[in-house]
Amino acid sequence: MKKNFLSKVTGLALVGTLAVSGLTACGSSASSSDVASTGEDAVEASSEAAGFRTLDEIKESGTINIGVFSDKSPFGFVDENGEYAGYDVYFAERIGQDLGVEINYVSTEAANRIEYLQTGKVDIILANFTVTEERAQEVDFALPYMNVALGVVSPDSAVVESLDDIGADDQIIVISGTTAETYLTKNYPDIKLQKYDAYAEAKTAFENGNGVAWANDNTEVIAFSLENEGYTVGIPSLGDQDTIAPAVTKGNETLLNWLNEEIETLGAENFFHAVYEATLLDTYGADYEDTLVLEGGK
Amino acid sequence: MDKDILIEYLPLYKDALFLTLKIGWQGIFLAFLIGLIGSAILHFKVRVLKSIVGVYIEIFRNTPLLVQLFFIYFALPKVGIQITAESCGVLGLGLLGGAYMIETFRSGVEAIPVIQTESAASLGMNQFQILWYVILPQAISISVPGLLANVIFLLKETSVFSTISLMDLMFTAKDLIGMYAKTIECLFLLVVFYLIMLLPISIIGAVVERRMRYGQFGD
Repeated sequence: MKKNFLSKVTGLALVGTLAVSGLTACGSSASSSDVASTGEDAVEASSEAAGFRTLDEIKESGTINIGVFSDKSPFGFVDENGEYAGYDVYFAERIGQDLGVEINYVSTEAANRIEYLQTGKVDIILANFTVTEERAQEVDFALPYMNVALGVVSPDSAVVESLDDIGADDQIIVISGTTAETYLTKNYPDIKLQKYDAYAEAKTAFENGNGVAWANDNTEVIAFSLENEGYTVGIPSLGDQDTIAPAVTKGNETLLNWLNEEIETLGAENFFHAVYEATLLDTYGADYEDTLVLEGGK
Repeated sequence: MDKDILIEYLPLYKDALFLTLKIGWQGIFLAFLIGLIGSAILHFKVRVLKSIVGVYIEIFRNTPLLVQLFFIYFALPKVGIQITAESCGVLGLGLLGGAYMIETFRSGVEAIPVIQTESAASLGMNQFQILWYVILPQAISISVPGLLANVIFLLKETSVFSTISLMDLMFTAKDLIGMYAKTIECLFLLVVFYLIMLLPISIIGAVVERRMRYGQFGD
């Protein structure tokens, strides 16, 4: 009987070690194996090893995979007809048109944007991706197309106007993987954060009163307070002024160069002002146009 | 893999493990209670309550924990019932687990031949005595493997807690990846910590199972 028990224990230990070693093996080869599973058409062996598809390979396959938000109105969302729409999507449509390929939209969440690029699940991330130093080490950013800072929104009944007002037991809602989370973690380590992994859930939780305030990109919180009665953006600008740019997998130079050229060319025709007027005007009015829009990458 | 990063993240994973265990055990305790009470109701065929338990089992066995948590955490506040994330986790886990525990206990009770109940009754024992002295001791020992499987199942289910802002192991890993993109290190720690949590239970389970079986004939 004792022998029986021992063999059980060793058996379990063995399974454990196998699982761990299996994982590490997976980790190192993830980038290559995932590409193979995402590519709809045959992806050439050369790029499989690198973990991304070059400009030519994308054109050849006839489809580009673009990662966008599906729940972040008015930047990337699914409209009442079930179509992707918003500022980012408008730009994505133009990219598809100018490349002459079909677009396959991949819905992303804030926290998995880097992952999706690194594993080759998407060719470009166009999901309101703020340029930061940490992120630039993991992915390559093209020229920016929008300005952004952080903002904090709170209910009218208890407007938070300074982060110093936050009590010891109060919680601020943030979305996992956003610049707001990184900024608050770094600069205000004592403030308790209530983290959600998707935009829609953070929004519902905030509406339910689960936190005293919600910190996010200021474009987001301004839109929220304009669309929902009873909320005020007490802190409209927090931290540094940042920019938003498309991102590609680290090292994907052909696609990166093409995107940079595209953004510069589009600047000549004031493309992003037109996008603003088509997608953001209803939400923000004309006042924010020059603050938010970045034309030709400058 | 970077060793310094593993060491740096270790405390965060430790906190997450404690949170998972804390909510996990409270939820499992609740599930156990619901299981005992529910299976007793089914055993004694209490009117009305019997149907309620039946409906409860069907609802909670046929919806995912994620959906249940969503409902408790996001929908109930809309009608004025505000519950903290932790209580919500305990409640969700307890209700889900309860449905499975009832079924496990019931299978244990039903495995006892009817002749034992009849014999006990003919010896003059009342319903409660029959349950307490004759059926339960045997039923529990038969149910042990199933109960342990439920415990492990429930602890693994805690990985969906991230939706309701609880920093469990899964969410800690995803969150760190989102902020610092150290994917391999984060996922490695994730698997290691789940094993740290669940392997001992499997091993202790194997021992307990053996011990409980001493009560049975021919082993």
